[in-house]
Amino acid sequence: MKRFAMIAATSAAALSASALHAEPLKIGIIESLSGAQTSTGRLYANAVAYGVAQINAAGGFNGEPVEVIEYDNAGGAPDAANKFRQAVADGVDIIFQGASSAIAGQLTEDVRKHNLRNPGKEVMFINLGGEAMELTGEKCQFYHFRFTTTAPMRVNALVGAMKKSGDLGEKAYSINQNYSWGQDMQAAVQTAAANGGYEIVGEVLHDVNKIQDFAPFVARLKSAEPDTVFTGNWSNDLLLLMKATGDAGLNVKFATAYLDQPGNIANAGATSLGHYIANNYENAATDGAFAEDYKKATGHYPIFVEGHSAFAVGALQQALGTLDFKGGDINVTSIAQALENTTYETPVGPVSVRKEDHQTIRPVVVSKVVKNAKYPADGTDMGFETVEVIPGEQAIYPVQDSCKMQRPDS
Amino acid sequence: MEFAIISALNGVTYGLLLFMVSAGLTLIFGMMGVLNFAHASFYMLGAYVAYAVSSIFGFWTGVIVAPIVTGLIGMAVERFLLPKVHKHGHAHELLLTFGLALIIEELVKLFFGDFPVNYQMPASLRFSAFHIFGADYPFYRLFIGGVAVVMFTALWLLLTRTRTGIVVRAAERLPAMAEALGHNIPMVFMFVFGTGAALAGLAGAVAGAFYPTNPNMGLELGVIVFVVVVVGGLGSLKGSLLASLLIGLFSSFAVGLDWSLAKLLGLVGLGEWARSIGGLMTLELSSVSATIPFALMLIVLLVRPAGLMGERN
Repeated sequence: MKRFAMIAATSAAALSASALHAEPLKIGIIESLSGAQTSTGRLYANAVAYGVAQINAAGGFNGEPVEVIEYDNAGGAPDAANKFRQAVADGVDIIFQGASSAIAGQLTEDVRKHNLRNPGKEVMFINLGGEAMELTGEKCQFYHFRFTTTAPMRVNALVGAMKKSGDLGEKAYSINQNYSWGQDMQAAVQTAAANGGYEIVGEVLHDVNKIQDFAPFVARLKSAEPDTVFTGNWSNDLLLLMKATGDAGLNVKFATAYLDQPGNIANAGATSLGHYIANNYENAATDGAFAEDYKKATGHYPIFVEGHSAFAVGALQQALGTLDFKGGDINVTSIAQALENTTYETPVGPVSVRKEDHQTIRPVVVSKVVKNAKYPADGTDMGFETVEVIPGEQAIYPVQDSCKMQRPDS
Repeated sequence: MEFAIISALNGVTYGLLLFMVSAGLTLIFGMMGVLNFAHASFYMLGAYVAYAVSSIFGFWTGVIVAPIVTGLIGMAVERFLLPKVHKHGHAHELLLTFGLALIIEELVKLFFGDFPVNYQMPASLRFSAFHIFGADYPFYRLFIGGVAVVMFTALWLLLTRTRTGIVVRAAERLPAMAEALGHNIPMVFMFVFGTGAALAGLAGAVAGAFYPTNPNMGLELGVIVFVVVVVGGLGSLKGSLLASLLIGLFSSFAVGLDWSLAKLLGLVGLGEWARSIGGLMTLELSSVSATIPFALMLIVLLVRPAGLMGERN
């Protein structure tokens, strides 16, 4: 009996203690922090940590600092699913992830199922880098938000800007990785052909980051004699392809999506000069205020995915600013609804969420590699010069028919 | 014709690169029976050491220092780590070297960062060897091939034509007898392991300047190198040369061929039907070119489990 009284007393004390402390908002980063994609995963995690530090510097949320917990998915979907369960057990409200569409696909399904089974304890997922179309197509759902571009946005921007500057040419070649993202890129290049006034002289899909020698692909590319090569390749697949093309002395322009991945410019050297990239953000396209602030906080200018990932947290911060749970329970559905209605001003233009499929309407920056750039990449004298910033309304594509979103309010 | 010549050229140079990396692994397995999972890590280590040294002392110093450093590390591994698990058999050696590979990879990330480093070939080697069918052929590819050929010749002569080679082979066949004749067997094994590691280091130093030097390079090539050694016949130097060339040529030719099952069936008039099914039927050979080495390994293991030139069946 005495023992029961003690338990009752301690639990009462615990309860009153929790009533004194408001419930903190918990953010989980489920990212590739070990394994082959560490380099990209680490950058996403950096940017989210930076963004959350901004929220906390402004007083946090719900009367408490926002907590960030990092989970290592080791670059694979099964590990990500495990880490999602752990995050739920830890009481995480919002999940961030960026590296790999496959992992994003796993997480968005996990989130959807979790929310169906646990009404009132919803979790939302902010996708920073999974660009597969199906995430806002067949798999689209209310609690998933994509804060990055997709293949059609990048390709349309590239085609528009390169055509204007006279670098597009009439013959295009598409070489991509054989999975959802690469196939999306290939389809986008086909769709944009009529608008861009080019003919597709060759298409290749190849294994993802397994190929050591790209010379045979370059031989095949050469025989098609293209002016422009569209590729969504990233990591080794882009670097090796570009180097092999440079070594063969071919005079083609590359239209890429991931040329700004750290190490690419230094490794490809002069070969990379004149090639194009379309992405979410580039320091050179702005007045530099954000870049300086980021450098002050982290020691380096924002590179690769860091810029747009920080803006995703910025948009979240703005959404949180419209809410007040008065120190009580956090309602994730309200946060998601507030985020839907948020238009966040980034240094390259406004970013807003399209309610039908939760794709963000966002500007796309097209740049090209030049010598003596304002923000040199990888410690070289080369870097990206902005060719054009395509505004969000112009870059966006129609909602996919396959998206049938179940809204909690309907 | 153009396609055949270019593909053959690309295939042979890539095959020679594969041989360069797998030579050390073959040597270590053939002479000592140790399946060294960390071999590709020595390859990566070689590239990173060469990068670090060459940024101060120039490219050639890097290429010379890298194999020495990886060789010494290899010897240390053989001397201090492997004997502890040797009595437990192959599985433990494999596990030990596997762990070592993970440690080396994380250490490299710790010291050199997650991103590819800027390890470049010197400008004096960056020129095109010849112009063929409207494209330049980089000299450095021939250089890599040349180093591999020299490596094969030197190893083969060393093992078959010199006294050292006789001692090493004796140590492998009948260690007790060789020891009774006054040869220091542990020293021989340490030397062999060191040489194997040094060869991987040299391969890394040479190839790292052509392919990007990044923390994944060991992992990426490591699997293929194992395929080479298995296809060639574990421990056979000539076998791994043959297997490397085969894999290089197969991968190179596969890329240029847009063959698919649908096209094959088209020959007997079933093309339309196959295309309507899609999926596997329309999968082009070029999109699975990286899978070819594994298919080759499967076939070789089914038909000739000892590998192309393996002795033990």
